[in-house]
Amino acid sequence: MADLTADFGKFTLKNPVMTASGTFGYGFEYNRFYDISLLGAVVVKGIRMTPSPGNPTPRIAEVTGGMLNAIGLQGPGVDKFLHGEDYLPFLRHIGATVIVNIWGTSVAEYAEVAARLEAEISGITALEINISCPNVKAGGAAFGTDLKLAGQVVGAVRKATSLPLITKLSPNVTSIAEFARVAEAAGSDAVSLVNTFSAMAIDIETRRFRLANRTGGLSGPAIKPIAVRMVYDVSRAVRIPVIGMGGICSGADAVEFMLAGATAVAVGTANFVDPYTPLKVIEFIEAYLDRHGMKRSGDLVGALDS
Amino acid sequence: MISGEIIRNARLKGDYFKIDFYAPEITAGARSGQFVHVRIDHRADRILRRPFSIFNATENGILSVVYKVVGEGTRALSRLRPGGVCEIMGPLGRGFSPPPSGTTPVAVDGGYGAAATFMLTRECTRRGLLLLGARSSADILLTEEYAAAGFEVRLATNDGSAGTRGLVTDLVTELLDSRPDERFYFYSCGPHPMLMALARLLRRRGLDGQLSIDHYMCCGIGACFGCVVKVNDPESESGWRYARSCSEGPVFDLNQVYVE
Repeated sequence: MADLTADFGKFTLKNPVMTASGTFGYGFEYNRFYDISLLGAVVVKGIRMTPSPGNPTPRIAEVTGGMLNAIGLQGPGVDKFLHGEDYLPFLRHIGATVIVNIWGTSVAEYAEVAARLEAEISGITALEINISCPNVKAGGAAFGTDLKLAGQVVGAVRKATSLPLITKLSPNVTSIAEFARVAEAAGSDAVSLVNTFSAMAIDIETRRFRLANRTGGLSGPAIKPIAVRMVYDVSRAVRIPVIGMGGICSGADAVEFMLAGATAVAVGTANFVDPYTPLKVIEFIEAYLDRHGMKRSGDLVGALDS
Repeated sequence: MISGEIIRNARLKGDYFKIDFYAPEITAGARSGQFVHVRIDHRADRILRRPFSIFNATENGILSVVYKVVGEGTRALSRLRPGGVCEIMGPLGRGFSPPPSGTTPVAVDGGYGAAATFMLTRECTRRGLLLLGARSSADILLTEEYAAAGFEVRLATNDGSAGTRGLVTDLVTELLDSRPDERFYFYSCGPHPMLMALARLLRRRGLDGQLSIDHYMCCGIGACFGCVVKVNDPESESGWRYARSCSEGPVFDLNQVYVE
């Protein structure tokens, strides 16, 4: 049996398969299907200081090869996340590996959330800094599409916490590798990519936008080849580990991302279609490593024959 | 999540169909107002599951769903043949709960919304009424099933082609006015404007009940926050918050429902 451990330097995961933030709730919702502590990590939906109501409806539109969403980071706020029974206390109780996705509408808020998460509780494996949500006006992608602001957010969070940091990058930029380099320079321990692609869909009969927010983020298998290319670009631009995601629906998809240079992968939209997808991906990777005579999942990372 | 074998899939009338699955794992715990999340097929142009109210769940494991062909997904569903299987998640969501003792249950539905309240005919000890509204007689269905289960059926259509001409809320007013000494408890599933009109009417009259309210669903289990609807929230500045119709609903108590 191959060693599935994913090594991030400051932390290790028991296997390289995580869930993408926003597609797995706070974990609780999926534990009815299987023991979610089996996952490399559960990356929870974005948390900020205060509760946020989210966007008007409709928030979802199905399109060929995927879906658009404009949820708008509806969430309970950091207090409820830390202490509410269906949130972090539940994840700690069942022994899940937890990565907390954080966001804010100002640089200071990002730092404040990070500080709270470290000061009040143990058992968080890492923070994922969300500078890439395309569906909120202030915060999110406003920081992730400006090199200077991106550096400021990551730098401020770095000062606020000793927890390992992952910066989640937006694909809605000309060169995602530049943003990865800025995150690395500002102290991020890893980068994760991609968040969704800014997109739009129109109902031609009603001549209305299919999302109340007009634009939303495209996810699902349609984006996978673009995401693989971006993971490849970024993994060659930085020394820190890369977490690859974007349309992963199968173990084969996941291996493709790892060959492109991802140390770990995240399953997103596929959770909505088949909740068991992350487990199937883990099984596939294990079998793939054995079939190819590889001893550890790290052997797969960037192992292109070129 | 289970594979449900299709036992029957037949047109009721027009664009309305009923599909029966053999799914004892789902029928065992199912109650009125809950739903199932069905993967109709495996295609790149529609990857998401589709939610359907549970019409009936029998003791011998037959799960019935009444649906209308409204798009390509439901069209594909209508073409599936007995012997085939669909991956089904369920039963999901918060269903209807029994009426308070001493009250007569009244299902107030719009069109095939009547499917979502049908199991109440079995769950309620007291025989009740179905007040069903629709655009025209072509959209009236399931009335025989309700009648066979002992519910009195009254109809209203916009064009007067079945029952009285008018809205289902007119039937509610009529019922209340004609039986002033009786205590009623209301259940409802239908188009959003109808639900809001009913909520306003019931509140005005100081009556209570439960409404099934939902929105486009994605995950079906409360993870994605796609299907939210507004519910009252005294702690919020706006007076409301977005609740997930799949997991906090689809059934909400009348006093939870935010009426704009």
